Amino acid sequence: MKRALQRKKFALVPAHGKGAVVLAALSLPGVWVAPAHAESAPDNGVIAFRYLHYEDSQPGLKRIKVNSPSLYLMTPIGPQWAVEGSAVVDSLSGATPRWQSSVSSASVMHEERKAADIKVTRYFDRASYTLGVSRSKEHDYASNALSLSGSWSSADNNTTWNLGVGGSSDKIDPTGGGFSGDTRDQKKNTVELIAGVTRALSSTDIVQFNLTYGSGHGYYDDPYKALDVRPDNRKQAALLGRWNHHLLGDQSTLRTSYRFYRDNFGIDAHTLQGEWVKPVTAALTFTPLVRLYSQSAADFYADARVDASGFPVLPALQPGQLNSGDQRLSAFGAVTLGLKTEYKLDAAWTVDLNLEAYEQRSNWRIGGSGSNGVDPFRARFVQLGASRKF
Amino acid sequence: MFQVSVAPGNASLRTEGTREGITEGMRVMASSKRAGNDFGFQFSAMASVCEVRIARLGRRKAEQLARLAIDEVRRIECKFSRYRAASVVSRINAAAGSGRPVDVDAETAGLIDFAARLHGLSDGLFDITSGALRKAWDFRAGRLPRADAIEALLPLVGWNKVVWRGARIELPLQGMELDFGGFGKEYAADRAASLLQERGVSHGLVNLGGDIRVIGPRPDGQPWQLGVQHPRERDRLLAEVPMASGALATSGDYERYFELDGARYCHVLDPRTGWPVTAWRSVSVVAPACLAAGALTTVAMLKGTDALPYLAAQNVGYLAVDQQGQLHQREAALTLN
Repeated sequence: MKRALQRKKFALVPAHGKGAVVLAALSLPGVWVAPAHAESAPDNGVIAFRYLHYEDSQPGLKRIKVNSPSLYLMTPIGPQWAVEGSAVVDSLSGATPRWQSSVSSASVMHEERKAADIKVTRYFDRASYTLGVSRSKEHDYASNALSLSGSWSSADNNTTWNLGVGGSSDKIDPTGGGFSGDTRDQKKNTVELIAGVTRALSSTDIVQFNLTYGSGHGYYDDPYKALDVRPDNRKQAALLGRWNHHLLGDQSTLRTSYRFYRDNFGIDAHTLQGEWVKPVTAALTFTPLVRLYSQSAADFYADARVDASGFPVLPALQPGQLNSGDQRLSAFGAVTLGLKTEYKLDAAWTVDLNLEAYEQRSNWRIGGSGSNGVDPFRARFVQLGASRKF
Repeated sequence: MFQVSVAPGNASLRTEGTREGITEGMRVMASSKRAGNDFGFQFSAMASVCEVRIARLGRRKAEQLARLAIDEVRRIECKFSRYRAASVVSRINAAAGSGRPVDVDAETAGLIDFAARLHGLSDGLFDITSGALRKAWDFRAGRLPRADAIEALLPLVGWNKVVWRGARIELPLQGMELDFGGFGKEYAADRAASLLQERGVSHGLVNLGGDIRVIGPRPDGQPWQLGVQHPRERDRLLAEVPMASGALATSGDYERYFELDGARYCHVLDPRTGWPVTAWRSVSVVAPACLAAGALTTVAMLKGTDALPYLAAQNVGYLAVDQQGQLHQREAALTLN
């Protein structure tokens, strides 16, 4: 006769960091393979709330502050469908970017941007397809976008290919018509294509290459900047290579990436990034990050010039001549240092804190000289988040 | 994409009671209520009741894949069983004392290297030559061997006596034996699980007589509920272990033993003395691979009172029952890559 079972529950799960015996076992062929990332809907739903605070400055001047709460929800619907959505409200306040450093005044603004997106994914045995829509609105700028992407895995799941296409349609209606007063109801349309491949090289190494190409036409000027005349089309291409290496000894992961970017404005940019995901205890993970960035100036970027008495010299433009003094189009280099701290409260709850400091300087450009007359630019991000699996 | 997190789950037990006829240490009890897409394939191999469980792929595909996994288990059994005359191990054993080294293939060499490594890492306790001692112990008859019988066999035990040069092995003394029994089943569980994983199985497990390698969680994302056999009461479970990945293996003094004058003599023999170990009724280990979990349960049984610090130093989870029936447990939650 069977007795009523008295059971105790134990949570025996593989420990953090691997001992010599485990490592010896894992080194035998066929004992361990990288987990198959088969195409299937996620097992858990996730709800996350994040609060981002962003602040940037140039020497002696605080500029933009952004406070941005966001909500993210992802839920599987059966084994073959997943829906995810997010909503964010950005509150911007502060001085608008200075028109080059030699201009001493900057207007003060306050505005709000609301954005939301929703994506639906259908999973098949070796493939998944995602349809997404997004919308973003602020008082002078509205954007609607649609995207479709697919992902296909090889039979052994070691290789995944992905293709995506997206389009967006933006409307720009500057307050008061912008700087020159004749820029109401402008439009911008863009199409973006992405193709990529991800391959697991071993149980501890994974590489990815992504090629993106974007083409847009319409209004690219900054309506609030004087003498800002940019091309009415922009073609952008970027190649991204990533390599993640997992260290069995301490269970940490090195994530590295390099991205090359080029556009028809004349900007070439390089981004090199390294992250180290280091579990400290079973619950606590630190992820320090370093990102190096360098770009050349747009062909029509005009260096700031001042006369003998220190006043800015405005360029004399022919009708139709392209020109911009936006520091984002100047030649510079930048360094970002970050630290993400993630703490698992229990099986369901995780809290995280992400800190990033960014500094951009003309003379940090790699492989060329930077633009003249642009002050160093600094930004700080503080993001606090909490997420729950369900 | 890089990490599968292993979190203790809270799924309730799905079936009641235990299955009759399975005498091994552990069994898989969880059977999803949505059994329509969760298929278990029972088979017998390595003198054990075995099961391959594949969920979420549909019956036809699950059947095809289970066949491949079972074939892999059988292949390993044929290749390494010392009970099969054609096996590599039998070939090596047959040449013992002949002065002729035996060439082995890469897979065999890998396993021998692993055993050699473990011999060093266990201070000589894990020894694939200790099988020779079984000639003195007859667990079915339930008799103590004569002391001189063990004394006579001890010189045939000792990995250090084996001549091992990467791809060639020689047992220098006649009567010496290699035995992969301490890890062959565990290796087979890992190989079968990896094979399924490479073919797209992400929900399932391989259970070879209680040596269990989990491929991935149940179709609903919850961990499988694995039961650990109570070492003294046949129809009772000691514990229930929820697992979504990794491996669980148990070694116990209840698997093959006899009792005489109130003392229990089990099949785990100490290569230094030739006598059965006594410190633990059972030791279960959770590790990323079954090969490691199984080998560590054996080493822990042999380590006696040093077992728990040893397992802790190897950074694995364990559940051990000492001779007073006291439970000792170490849990460590973390992610596998």
